[in-house]
Amino acid sequence: MSSRAQRRPGELAFAVALLALSLWLFAEAYKISGFSGLSTPGIFPMLATGLMVVCSLVILLKALAMTPAGGGLRRFLTDITPLRQTVMVVLVGLYILAMPWLGFLAASGLFLFVSIQFLWRRAVWLTALVSLAGLAAIHVVFSLVFQVVLPKGTLLQGLF
Amino acid sequence: MLESFGYLAISWLDPWLLMLTAAGTLAGIYVGAIPGLSVTMAVSILISFTFKWSVNDALALIAGVYVGGVYGGSRTAILLNIPGAPSAIATALDGYPMAKRGEAGEAVGLTTVMSVFGGFVGVAALALFAPMLSDFALMFTSRDYLLLAMIGILLVGTLSGESFAKGVFAGALGVLIGMVGLDPMTAEGRFTFDTITLMGGIPYVVAMIGFFGVAEAFVQLHQLDLPAVKQKIDRVIPRLADVRRYFRVALRASGIGTVIGALPGTGGDIAALLAYDDAKRSTKNPEVPFGEGAKEGLVAPEAANNAAVGGAFVPMLTLGIPGDAVTAVIIGALFIHGLKPGPLLLVETPHLFWFTVGNLALANVFLLIFGLTGIRIFTKIVECPKAILLPLIIILSAVGSYAIQNNPVDIYWMLLFGVFGYFLKVYGFQVGPVILGVILGPMMDANYRRAMIGARNDPATFIWDFLSHPISCVLLIAFLALLISQTPLGRLAREAWRGRRAQGRGAG
Repeated sequence: MSSRAQRRPGELAFAVALLALSLWLFAEAYKISGFSGLSTPGIFPMLATGLMVVCSLVILLKALAMTPAGGGLRRFLTDITPLRQTVMVVLVGLYILAMPWLGFLAASGLFLFVSIQFLWRRAVWLTALVSLAGLAAIHVVFSLVFQVVLPKGTLLQGLF
Repeated sequence: MLESFGYLAISWLDPWLLMLTAAGTLAGIYVGAIPGLSVTMAVSILISFTFKWSVNDALALIAGVYVGGVYGGSRTAILLNIPGAPSAIATALDGYPMAKRGEAGEAVGLTTVMSVFGGFVGVAALALFAPMLSDFALMFTSRDYLLLAMIGILLVGTLSGESFAKGVFAGALGVLIGMVGLDPMTAEGRFTFDTITLMGGIPYVVAMIGFFGVAEAFVQLHQLDLPAVKQKIDRVIPRLADVRRYFRVALRASGIGTVIGALPGTGGDIAALLAYDDAKRSTKNPEVPFGEGAKEGLVAPEAANNAAVGGAFVPMLTLGIPGDAVTAVIIGALFIHGLKPGPLLLVETPHLFWFTVGNLALANVFLLIFGLTGIRIFTKIVECPKAILLPLIIILSAVGSYAIQNNPVDIYWMLLFGVFGYFLKVYGFQVGPVILGVILGPMMDANYRRAMIGARNDPATFIWDFLSHPISCVLLIAFLALLISQTPLGRLAREAWRGRRAQGRGAG
């Protein structure tokens, strides 16, 4: 176990968020069956969320004991959520949302091409070739070998 | 005796069975290496198209996939820090640091040899001690399983990471995710928020893919500009001196793996963790500290999870109780073929028992061959530009999440867990305990409630049950010792002990 003297950017806010989440989940666990018995369906969720509350409190107190990271929001944006991460999360989100309309193959092909181009920054034809090869490999393994029924797009009427 | 040996040698002498076992083992390695493609899933698929085959052919292929799959999970754990299966979570702790040093070839080679060693120990235990092991496994009650699961989560929470609190928080979070859905005992909704979507629960594989695969991909975006580490693959086959050096660790781990594997409902994941912890505590002077690429940390979990395969077959063949998820599916396959796994199997169909033993041993031989020959190609994954690899990992993760139950909602969970997992990793949490919590949470819940109902909801009786039964008492002591060792009280005790020893030396 390592011990640090300085907080990471955003660590205090994250600890507060974890405590809030734990308290909310504990309240939800209590709603299942409250303290009505020792073998009710809600007892173990309450134990788990109770433990989360205690641990998140300890985590918060430890974070408070450390010296602030400094640099504020700007440092959080550069160290923890830099543009590359943010763009990739957005791209994955768009990919998942587009899948029901475009179908698995078209959405995955598009996601692979855009994300590899964004991260790799090479010639477009090379990116397209790599994306196609990757997509073909995945299609063979999952669709043909394992016969996984992958989502078909409503927009392209099952073409992909 | 001779007859038994004949059954044992069937798959070794029949070219068709040899080929099926080899194909199964090779396929298993690659299935196990892809997060989202589980061995359970592969075996389930195999059953659907092998039910018309003869039972020997079907079992040969299935046993190969099982043995290969358990080992395959370690490949991506070492190369990418993404375990292909929960049983490879512990492998990533020291395997990935080795790959970062350019020692992926050596890590995979050592893993292969020790997996095979563990596999053989498990098979030997199955052949020699099956009835005895199953009798021992039957002694375990619900409270013992509860303690075993709690030890498992606590272990992974304390193995590495920044603080005990963070480890326990992650474990509890996992338990909570495992609780989502309808309560199996009363069908009451838990954390479903009155939505039909959540009533089916969240599959643990989705959590594993999100927290490990996607989160790791986001973390590795930070290292996109770093040049790929050139892997040294001139030495793939481990030195005899190395094998000799880690033999003791491997043997202990194999023993742990066999016994844990024989416990119904447990599996390679708990076995690997317990073996890793045992190695950490029993290794006095590792070449490098655990968590930074200690070879003992690689040997122990890999020997244990493969030994657990042989162990898992013990209760399946002797009692008809599955040792883990895969053997649960295999039981289904045996029933399809008109066989009845259980106490009479050894009496009515002894050939099936000995055929399985021989076949598992053969699968381990093929594991050694395929495991040591594909390393050069496999390690190229690490040298592939991350800009290409990371989007591919995300696509694989999406397909793997969707493939479990053809539910698009699982892909949303995958992304949510991926983003949350990223923040957890960035702020010094481990994601291993989360996955273990998801897997073991329902088991803990069910066993706690059974134990409590058994004690007529009386807390005093409940506690007394733990203290008055030998197995429960031993496990409780182990759990408490583990818990205390992580608190300030444990640290004070250690310091006092060191002080007393120093005084003793001074006096001497």
